[in-house]
Amino acid sequence: MPANKLLLSSSPNAFTGADSRKIMLAVIIALLPTTVYGVVLYGLPALLVILTSVISAVLAEAGFRALTKQDSRVGDLSAVVTGLLVALIAPPSLPLWMAALGSIAAIIFAKEFFGGLGANPFNPALIGRAILLMSFPAAMTTWHAPFGALTDATAGATPLNIVKMGGTIADVGMGIAGSSDYGATLWTLFIGNRAGSIGEGSILLILVGFAFLLALRVVRLITPLAMVGTAFVLSWVLGMDPLFGILSGGLVFGAVFMATDYASSPITPLGKLIFGAGAGALTVVIRKFGGFPEGVTYGILIMNALAPFLDKLRVKKYGFVPPAKPVVAAKEGAK
Amino acid sequence: MATKTFKGGAHPPERKHRTEALPIEYVGTVKQVVVPVNQHFGAPIQPLVKVGDQVKRGQKIADADGRMTVPVHAPIAGIVKKIEPRLQSNNLEGSAIVIEADGSGGVDFMPPLDGFSCGKDEALARIREAGIIGMGGAGFPAHVKLAPPPNKPITVVIANAAECEPYLTIDERVMAETPGDLVEGMAITMRILGVGRGVIGLEDNKAHLMDALEAAVKDYGRGAAIELQLLKTKYPQGGEKMLITAITGKEVPSGGLPMDVGCVVQNVGTFKAIAEAFREGKPLIDRGFTVSGGACKSPKNLVVPVGTLVSDLIPDTIQIDEDALRRVIYGGPMMGPSLPNWAVPVQKNTSGVLFLNASESKVYAEGPCLRCGRCMNACSCRLSPALLNVAIKADDFDQAEAIGLLDCIECGTCSFVCPSHIQLVQRFRVGKQLLRAKKQKEAARAGK
Ligand code: SF4
Ligand code: SF4
Repeated sequence: MPANKLLLSSSPNAFTGADSRKIMLAVIIALLPTTVYGVVLYGLPALLVILTSVISAVLAEAGFRALTKQDSRVGDLSAVVTGLLVALIAPPSLPLWMAALGSIAAIIFAKEFFGGLGANPFNPALIGRAILLMSFPAAMTTWHAPFGALTDATAGATPLNIVKMGGTIADVGMGIAGSSDYGATLWTLFIGNRAGSIGEGSILLILVGFAFLLALRVVRLITPLAMVGTAFVLSWVLGMDPLFGILSGGLVFGAVFMATDYASSPITPLGKLIFGAGAGALTVVIRKFGGFPEGVTYGILIMNALAPFLDKLRVKKYGFVPPAKPVVAAKEGAK
Repeated sequence: MATKTFKGGAHPPERKHRTEALPIEYVGTVKQVVVPVNQHFGAPIQPLVKVGDQVKRGQKIADADGRMTVPVHAPIAGIVKKIEPRLQSNNLEGSAIVIEADGSGGVDFMPPLDGFSCGKDEALARIREAGIIGMGGAGFPAHVKLAPPPNKPITVVIANAAECEPYLTIDERVMAETPGDLVEGMAITMRILGVGRGVIGLEDNKAHLMDALEAAVKDYGRGAAIELQLLKTKYPQGGEKMLITAITGKEVPSGGLPMDVGCVVQNVGTFKAIAEAFREGKPLIDRGFTVSGGACKSPKNLVVPVGTLVSDLIPDTIQIDEDALRRVIYGGPMMGPSLPNWAVPVQKNTSGVLFLNASESKVYAEGPCLRCGRCMNACSCRLSPALLNVAIKADDFDQAEAIGLLDCIECGTCSFVCPSHIQLVQRFRVGKQLLRAKKQKEAARAGK
């Protein structure tokens, strides 16, 4: 009667049904609105950048893991997420081979070298972007206004660029909204009808994706809130227009989809808070004082390096008893 | 009434519907019992009988001196056939007394005792002599909990009626059918401790028992101030610490006991056993439990003599689908051990026997930690399972201890929620043993 087919593993014997594939799928779905909008804005070139980037990421991961004789992890879809993120923060006119290179660098250097999924100390997509930015600064900073051909002749500046070059918000408004009205300018920025990276533009659609991830509890509110909130306050303190700062660059996209990367951000709530606040502050500091108009990439990457230390900021465990006070210790010593 | 709870936790599928409305069935006679000698948490005890002895139902058959001991009694009348190591419900072998029924029907209970007029020491002695241990799982001797040192005043006696493990419904049925026993056991306990407040904490999936329990408290008279407290249905609401926190708002200090915050917690079954030990002089020799699971064709709530082999209940009392069967669990699915067969005795602390099918016993390969934080958000002890896992895998037991390994209550919620199916609690169980062994070694070395 003792049936040897009986399973004997240790309890628990119930599971939620969540797995890494479903989590990654949720992130991909959350990215879809802004991805589709990017293709609507910039047309076929944007679509090709996205496809190239995603496919090279998946192939790079599969190839690397096969070469190093590790199990394939294509099924968990995390390479798709990385490839998609690399594309969404790139300019639509990026040559396809560069897009492929950025994705491959993100997967190999930032992810697989460290052990793959869950083990990357830095955000892979941002590393990919940073490498491209250093290698091909011109291609990575060529922008185009939406709904036009992506030729050299039509190249234009992003809102942050315009302001960095000494322009005013009214100038930006004339460009994108056809009006110098402040409200109309901000609304157009919110909708995302402006020059920039493929997927960073529409704050509205990014927030739609964010709401989806929050509802599924894939990400927590705390990091993005801390990042955007700190950026808002610090811009204001430094005399920049805080609303414009939030709506114009890649801040919201970075806060929602980059700073919440599980592996490269702290795992504890207090760690997340400080991580978000630090990334927000660094972004503004770089925007204000740095050579680049945008600071989200380096702001988050710098905080990535601090994440292991921020992990030490754990919540007090249940029933935490503070260590004995020195007075008591001294008394005992005197005995 | 406001429903109280603790922070964290998770919602495993309840799966109680198949048995929660079924009246308890009593199996009076079995042909043999295999009674493990040591069923309690504490110091070991020794058999008092030898092979060939005739024993009566209720006769003491194993005992020892010492505070952390409780005796064991013969659950049926019969002849002692063997005393030998047998597989127990904790998946370890241990000395067991095998008694074969001889049909003599001899009974040897203690005389009834009025728990309200007897002396306090007499009452405590009765609880010990009745062999009563915590019936929720850990098997902590009941009389030890009821005799706290004078510097730990107890202010509230709590009945753990949460029954938060999936499938299990035996406590629910005991409360539905004999609510008076629970109230009586609590009243006696409160009287022994000199405590004026009792609370029955039950998950709100059992809110339908409120009226019956309230009536039982009223009927009981004796002025026992027993309240009901509804708790959110959430795992591990029945964890002793979580229950205390939900009801009193206090946290049991790390490394401490419920009495450190003025609480004594006993399971529903334990209170019933206390009531019977006084009213009938009956020791703890019968055990109620739930039989269920997808491969069980006859889910039910049963009471059997302690030591009954589940295999002896098949097929007359329990029918199973052996083709579909993939896993046998004694206890609940979140914390109970899986056993290699079911020729294993029902013990004093067996709350359920589950026959699970393939869809209920999935096994997953461990994936990489995503650092998603789900385990942290779910841990009712506010530990960081993902970080504990890293520390233990790196053999860094100092770090593991520093971040709370010994505070883990082994509820398994972390492993339940982990999307990468990482063996968190499984590793913590082993890690705790290794850490304790390491500390003992160090202490021994320091002592030299
Ligand atoms: S739930 Fe699992 S994957 Fe997520 S952080 Fe915890 S251990 Fe890692
Ligand atoms: S770490 Fe321990 S206490 Fe926390 S959820 Fe896991 S098993 Fe339960």
